[in-house]
Amino acid sequence: MNALVIKALAFAAILIVATLVVVKQMNIDLSDPINAITMLGAVAIAVLAFGVSAKYIAQMKTDKAQGELAEENWDGIGEYKNELPAGWAYSFLGTLIWALWYWQFGYPVNAYSQIGQWNEEVKAYNKKFEEAHKTTDKATLKEMGESIFLVQCAPCHGTTGDGLSGKAQDFTKRMTKEQILHVINNGQNQLGYPMGAMPPGMASGKDAEDIAAWIAGGMKGEQPAAFAACASCHGADGKGNNGMAPNLAEYDLTLVSHVLEHGKKGIIGRMPSFKTMITPVQEKALTEYIQSLKE
Amino acid sequence: MQSNAALEYDYSVAKLFTYTTILFGFLGMLIGTLIAAQLAFPELNYLLGEYGTFSRLRPLHTNIVIYGFTLSGVWATFYYSGQRVLKVSMAESKFIMAVGKIHFWLYFVAALAAVVSLLLGFTQSKEYAQMEWPFDIVVVLIWVLWGIAMFGLIGIRREKALYISMWYYIACFLGIAMLYLFNNMSVPTYFVSGNVGNILHSVSMYSGTNDALVQWWFGHNAVAFGFTVPIVAMIYYFLPKESGQAVYSYKLSLLSFWGLMFVYLWAGSHHLLWSTVPDWMQTMGSVFSVVLILPSWGSAINMLLTMKGEWNQLTENPLIKFMVLASTFYMLSTLEGPIQAIKSVNAIAHFTDWIPGHVHDGVLGWVVFMIMAALFHMAPRMFKREIYSKKLMEAQFWLQTTAVVLYFTSMWIAGITQGMMWRAVDEYGNLMYSFIDTVTVLHPYYAIRALAGVLYLTGFLMFAYNMFKTMTSSRELSEEPQFRSPMA
Amino acid sequence: MFHWLEKNPFLFSVGVFLVIAFAGIIEILPNFAEASRPVQGLRPYTVLELAGKEIYKKDNCIACHSQLIRPFKAETDRYGQYSLSGEYAYDRPFLWGSKRTGPDLHRVGNYRTTDWHENHMWEPTSVVPGSIMPAYKHQFTNIADIETAYAEAVTVKNVFNVPYGDDIKPGKAAFEAYKPKILAEAKKIAADMKNKDVKDAVAAGKVPEVVALIAYLNSLGSDRYEAKK
Ligand code: HEC
Ligand code: HEC
Ligand code: HEC
Ligand code: HEM
Ligand code: HEM
Ligand SMILES: [Ca+2]
Ligand SMILES: [Ca+2]
Ligand SMILES: [Cu+2]
Repeated sequence: MNALVIKALAFAAILIVATLVVVKQMNIDLSDPINAITMLGAVAIAVLAFGVSAKYIAQMKTDKAQGELAEENWDGIGEYKNELPAGWAYSFLGTLIWALWYWQFGYPVNAYSQIGQWNEEVKAYNKKFEEAHKTTDKATLKEMGESIFLVQCAPCHGTTGDGLSGKAQDFTKRMTKEQILHVINNGQNQLGYPMGAMPPGMASGKDAEDIAAWIAGGMKGEQPAAFAACASCHGADGKGNNGMAPNLAEYDLTLVSHVLEHGKKGIIGRMPSFKTMITPVQEKALTEYIQSLKE
Repeated sequence: MQSNAALEYDYSVAKLFTYTTILFGFLGMLIGTLIAAQLAFPELNYLLGEYGTFSRLRPLHTNIVIYGFTLSGVWATFYYSGQRVLKVSMAESKFIMAVGKIHFWLYFVAALAAVVSLLLGFTQSKEYAQMEWPFDIVVVLIWVLWGIAMFGLIGIRREKALYISMWYYIACFLGIAMLYLFNNMSVPTYFVSGNVGNILHSVSMYSGTNDALVQWWFGHNAVAFGFTVPIVAMIYYFLPKESGQAVYSYKLSLLSFWGLMFVYLWAGSHHLLWSTVPDWMQTMGSVFSVVLILPSWGSAINMLLTMKGEWNQLTENPLIKFMVLASTFYMLSTLEGPIQAIKSVNAIAHFTDWIPGHVHDGVLGWVVFMIMAALFHMAPRMFKREIYSKKLMEAQFWLQTTAVVLYFTSMWIAGITQGMMWRAVDEYGNLMYSFIDTVTVLHPYYAIRALAGVLYLTGFLMFAYNMFKTMTSSRELSEEPQFRSPMA
Repeated sequence: MFHWLEKNPFLFSVGVFLVIAFAGIIEILPNFAEASRPVQGLRPYTVLELAGKEIYKKDNCIACHSQLIRPFKAETDRYGQYSLSGEYAYDRPFLWGSKRTGPDLHRVGNYRTTDWHENHMWEPTSVVPGSIMPAYKHQFTNIADIETAYAEAVTVKNVFNVPYGDDIKPGKAAFEAYKPKILAEAKKIAADMKNKDVKDAVAAGKVPEVVALIAYLNSLGSDRYEAKK
């Protein structure tokens, strides 16, 4: 082969290898059909574009112009009556045949539906990950939760779950004193617990302060007497009375799923509902992960 | 065959457009380099307050390079080569001469005003059709003026048969006329609402999916009839002319031309793959895109074969180098595009940097290379001086070639990587990467692209300087060179 | 072969025109009526949202953001339900975009909120470290052009039959009469915000750009389906 063509193909090879190296570093699964076809396409582009043009350029060195000239001439420019280059003509025919195939069988114009394909994709996916989603092992759930958290929750809660200095809930703690006081003073009714609404004014003044400080401090030390007012709904231990009201001690699955279902508007800001985007398994995983963030 | 020397061609309009080609080329690529740098170093967004953000500058870049630089180049070369292949001088008709001049001045004033309006944020938000309705009306006027000049010249031509270049200029004229009109249809709100609000504002005549269809029928073919067809017109004239070689094959020219005309328009829906346009239409877009490879390659191959046996010219004349490389970059982008138009590949490529990569193979390697080569070729004939420096041209060639290679390889890798990262799932089937992961990973490639921009822009400045010196202080020529352009 | 045609510029041009016009007719026309029908329960944008859409156009968010969720599992997991044609019926122009330097926004109203947008538009890196999106601080002081947005509502109502109420009608006086409604909506957004300048401006009867923009961003998603309400 000609030296120029070899150089061109070498360049194509370098480009492809570089692409593969980078992609592999990102743990991309190249057996995924879309990824595989794309890589093949990239190879085709690089090899054909550089290889074929190098072939023609190389001809400038080795070949000679010849043929029968047409009579016409424009500003000194002549024109040969040469035949079509055979490679070009056959390739043209080739693409036409491919086109017919794609049109009739690849993505048959009268039968193919992209939404149908999406349904298939989801089905295949569910089948493939069914086993993985049955998991109850805590460590696995936590790992799973972390990656969901980074995609869905980190933009608000931060990649470390610390709430980005007060822009959203800080998961290293349960709640801050201000948040609790806000709820005591204003009541709250948005999470859809069986108890329904929490009325405002269940405590006030110093009592409220004490309760809030105690809950925010992680419920350590002696329980303020006034907490009895809360215990009727949240349980004596504050853990939510078996899901009747929110758990004030920790982020449990009930709380997380209520928040994800209903969203929440509190003193910090508003969190949207993730009802349609998070599956039950993912909820469990998220809970496991959020619990692991506790200081 | 008559002698060409007998006729004195008039280059006054061609010269005017040559100046704006250089001016807008520099401005557009300066902004291109800036926005490339902004993606790598976001602090650069704040150089000009609200007018300096990436988002405000991006359409400025695209509009200036398309409607400023490329169109100027198209008209500079048309007003130059049109006369020559039709064998008729602008000076022969006062009317055509006047139309040509009005064409230029209306264009120039409108272009400057459009730049300001876009900077201020008046936009229809449809890519490559951003300019608001009053500008669209002026664009139509400008187009009509060009049509009058072109068909006027054709009307008084001495050369009976139209040369290939003219086929392509005519197609450029008709294609853009049809597409631009439909896509920019909009209703100015000021008049309908009883004089409420801003007079520049309008709403698109089409909504949603329909609007998308019309937009990309236009958008794709703006590429076809703006970045492809008139550039092919140029290479068919300037390469044979500069090299003195006859065009390799009339048959190939003919098939490529009519093939391109027939197929190009069908391919527009490859910009809408996996969208809400009907499935059959998307498939048509993919199918015709692939069929489009050969009509596109036909012209490039025809040009490369025209240079058969002329290795000496290639090594000795940097002007030929520009044009030969332009052909190969044209081959690259017209193979890359079709492959990106295959549905499975587009699933990855669409929305990623691989697309701007493809775009700039075409525009930097093909459009700009070809336009610069054409202006270099025209300069000694228009200004009757030899080209100021061959050395500078050689250096520019290698610098810019490096820049294009850096641009497209970095965006190629960036795009493929990002596209695959968006799809990646972990062992549990959940998305593996947050969106921001797929952004930060691109930083090195964005930095390389910014560097490419700096190199390419430097090359363009070398071109501008070389042209300026050629116009003003290079050695004068006593007679017009027949083929190869003289250079010091 | 075709030489005769090349000697007849008129026929040549007609030929080229026919060949290129052909595809448009076959590909574009058949779909036109169907694709402009809204999906069930879709409401038009409010005037404040239209003003926000103008900011979105003016600051050209489309340079980096798409509004088109393709039917792939990876995409529906990230952004929600794939996009439907009828959801865009009131979008003039369509804002699908062609480059995703930032994420898709077609359903961003479902998973981001006013206070988040406030932080993010002021300084994207304050919520997303490593973001390369520009800060849009000027939107907190620039005043949105609600008058032009109103004109747009009138136009699409009168020309394209977009179902707005009877209070949207031509004329400056009609606009002035309508204005309190726009301000009331703006107040709701501002209530969820912290920026002092913004709150002051809204209290004074003006609509800062960012308020309109956030109204628009919040409308992207299920908020525009009456069924939800
Ligand atoms: C009548 C029952 C009832 C009483 C009494 C009550 N709560 Fe609640 N509390 C609820 C319910 C129900 C909710 C969930 C409200 C919702 O859906 O938003 C709640 C929510 C809260 C929250 C917000 C939790 C979160 O994650 O958003 C806090 C904090 C709280 N209560 C603290 C207290 C304190 C402190 C007291 C006593 C001073 C108290 N509650 C008394 C029923 C009660
Ligand atoms: C658009 C921003 C945003 C996103 C995205 C977001 N959150 Fe939140 N979240 C908040 C804000 C703000 C709060 C605090 C609300 C308050 O109490 O003021 C919060 C609070 C919470 C709470 C505590 C609620 C309570 O009552 O104690 C939980 C649990 C939570 N988020 C979980 C999640 C999970 C899991 C995700 C991802 C699937 C997520 N969030 C995504 C903004 C967000
Ligand atoms: C230079 C590119 C760029 C421009 C211009 C830009 N953005 Fe962004 N945008 C990003 C990137 C990158 C992200 C992802 C990182 C982040 O959230 O900041 C993003 C994220 C967002 C998000 C969050 C979406 C999500 O799912 O988390 C919103 C909302 C947004 N941008 C709105 C806008 C608006 C409105 C404008 C115009 C006024 C705009 N952007 C202009 C690049 C850009
Ligand atoms: C056979 C010829 C070509 C085909 C089939 C083709 C195909 C494509 C495809 C599939 C896309 C991407 C659409 C997307 O997913 O977003 C694209 C984008 C683009 N191409 Fe090409 N391409 C061709 C030639 C060219 C040439 C020669 C140029 C320029 C000189 C060019 C300029 C562009 C531009 C500017 C875009 C970006 C459009 C946008 O803003 O999204 N193309 N092309
Ligand atoms: C110095 C040279 C140039 C540099 C550094 C440059 C850089 C850029 C950048 C950074 C973008 C935005 C990409 C993105 O959004 O991710 C862009 C877009 C674009 N540029 Fe350039 N550019 C240059 C020259 C040109 C020229 C000469 C042309 C045309 C003749 C051109 C045409 C375009 C087009 C059509 C787009 C839009 C592509 C799309 O939407 O997909 N550029 N350019
Ligand atoms: Ca326009
Ligand atoms: Ca684009
Ligand atoms: Cu295209």
